[in-house]
Parts: sequence; C-alpha cells; structure tokens
Amino acid sequence: MIYEATLGQDFPLAEPTDAARLRAGDPAALAAVVGRYQHRLYRYLVRLVHDPATADDLFQQTWLQVVRQIHRYDPARSFDTWLFAIAHNTAIDLLRRRTGECLEDYPASAPDALDTLLAGERAEHLAAAMDALPALYREVLTLRFEEGMKLEEIAAVTHAPLSTVKSRVQRGLEALRRSLP
Amino acid sequence: MNHDAVRTLLTLSAAGLLDPEAERQVREHARTCADCTAELACLGQLAVGLSTLPAPPPPLNLVARTQARIAADGDRREAWRLSIAASICAATLAVAACLQLQPYLGSLIWIAFAVIPSLLGAGAALTLASRRHLERSLL
Repeated sequence: MIYEATLGQDFPLAEPTDAARLRAGDPAALAAVVGRYQHRLYRYLVRLVHDPATADDLFQQTWLQVVRQIHRYDPARSFDTWLFAIAHNTAIDLLRRRTGECLEDYPASAPDALDTLLAGERAEHLAAAMDALPALYREVLTLRFEEGMKLEEIAAVTHAPLSTVKSRVQRGLEALRRSLP
Repeated sequence: MNHDAVRTLLTLSAAGLLDPEAERQVREHARTCADCTAELACLGQLAVGLSTLPAPPPPLNLVARTQARIAADGDRREAWRLSIAASICAATLAVAACLQLQPYLGSLIWIAFAVIPSLLGAGAALTLASRRHLERSLL
C-alpha cells in the first residue's frame, strides 16, 4: 500500500507516565505534553474550522477539558484518540453555539481564486482542494493521512460507525481526485 | 473480482483501509488492467500528497497562553472551593458558639456570630485567590 509506506515518520506520542503526571497536576508535565502535541492538534483544528483564531481558542479549550477530565482517562486507551476526541467535541460544541449548526452542516469555504491562480505547486493545489471539501471529509482525511490513525481510532474520535468513517474517507478522496487536474 | 467491483475499492486501497484479501485482489486485478493501475497510482500520489501537506504553524506563544489559561481556570476553581469550605467552616463555628453562648447573651449572639466568621472566611478566601492571581501574572 502506497500510503502506508509514507507513514515512516514518528509521531510524538504521550509517554505512559504523562497521564499520571497530568492527573497529579504537575505543571511541567502539562507544558511538556501541550508542547509535544501543539503542531498536530493545532493542524487538526485548523483543518476542521479553517480559521486560525478559532483554532487557537479551541486548542486552549481542548487542553482545559483535558485537565478537567484527566481523571476519566483510561491509560489502557490511546491518549491520542482521547485527546482528539475531546478536540472534536470542543469544536462541535463551539460550532453549535456559534452558528446553531453541526459539523455536518458546516460549510466548506471556497478556495480563494487568487490563491488558486498563484498556486503553482501540486501541494498548493491539493491544499486548496482540501479546503474546499466539507468539514466532515476534511476531518477524516486529516485524521487518516496526517495523523495516521486507523479506522477504529477515527471512529472513536468522531463518534461515528466504522462504515461511516470508511465511506467518508472514500468520498473525500474521490472528491479530491475529481477536483485535481 | 471484476473490473467494476475493483474500481470501487481503489480509493480504500490507496488509503490503506482494505483488508489483506481485498487488497490482494485489487493488486491482482491491477496487474492486468492499465486503467486501474493508472488510477491506483494517481490515488496513491494523492494519498502521499495528503500525508505531506504543509502544516499550518501554531502561533509562537500558543503553549504559554494555554498554560496561563489553565492556571487561571485552576485559580478560579480553587478560589471557589476555598470560599465554599471557608463559608461552611465559619457557619458551623458560628452555630456551635451561638448554642454555647445563647443562655448568657440572648439572641444578639446569633447575629454577631453568624455574620463575623462568614465575613472573615470570605475575605480570607478572596485575599488568597487575588494573591495567587497576582503571582501568576508576575510569572
């Protein structure tokens, strides 16, 4: 499988003791874990909501929830999945409060015409095409391809059945395929 | 597996989401089908492209701001807990003292001992919370 060959990069994961230290309220552990996840979590949130300022706020709210709910975290489960599920819920709550909509309705922003015109590289075309996808597809594609999550993990994050996740990945990829030259 | 059936599985194959048997069948078909081979290669490039998309850089002070927000939230919660604890202690103390002193001082003691400890407790909690807030802001 072509894609799996590209997943050679190591994702920074929470160390097993991190959750215990977070639970004990260790500020150094908090700083370390937030720092370790900042790129991945912020990227996920930006892909989901498009707006950097909103993603910034959601990032902070997500960690607030992590600190408040750390006693509920089961160390037998993946910390990544738990963290991204909290981020997903926080984003959904914000979207509902702000617009009265849910993620299913959240509109895709049309790619900026000038950006598209100037985008000479394939990656830029791809990024523009990705931005134009509905949020539901952007989310699963980000979790699958950028986070390298398995179907079961994506299902746990998004609270969707496996078949739904599979269908979203499939439709998202097909939509991207159609939109690219 | 025929061509049309394989065609529907190409995106899942590119995403690495097929089970081994279905993946084997797709590969087997693709060896003899130029269309599917080309489509699979294209989808494969798409998958690789997605996994290497440039990530938006997080704001420089995001971690520090997050820590500060969590600390402020912790302070608010602690101040709230302290206030409740102080109020309960003060109320308990006041009731106990009033019960002891009522035969000597009459109903006036109830008013004095209910108000004074409560005010002292709430004041102490607020002082502690504001001091912690000041300490955080100086960091």
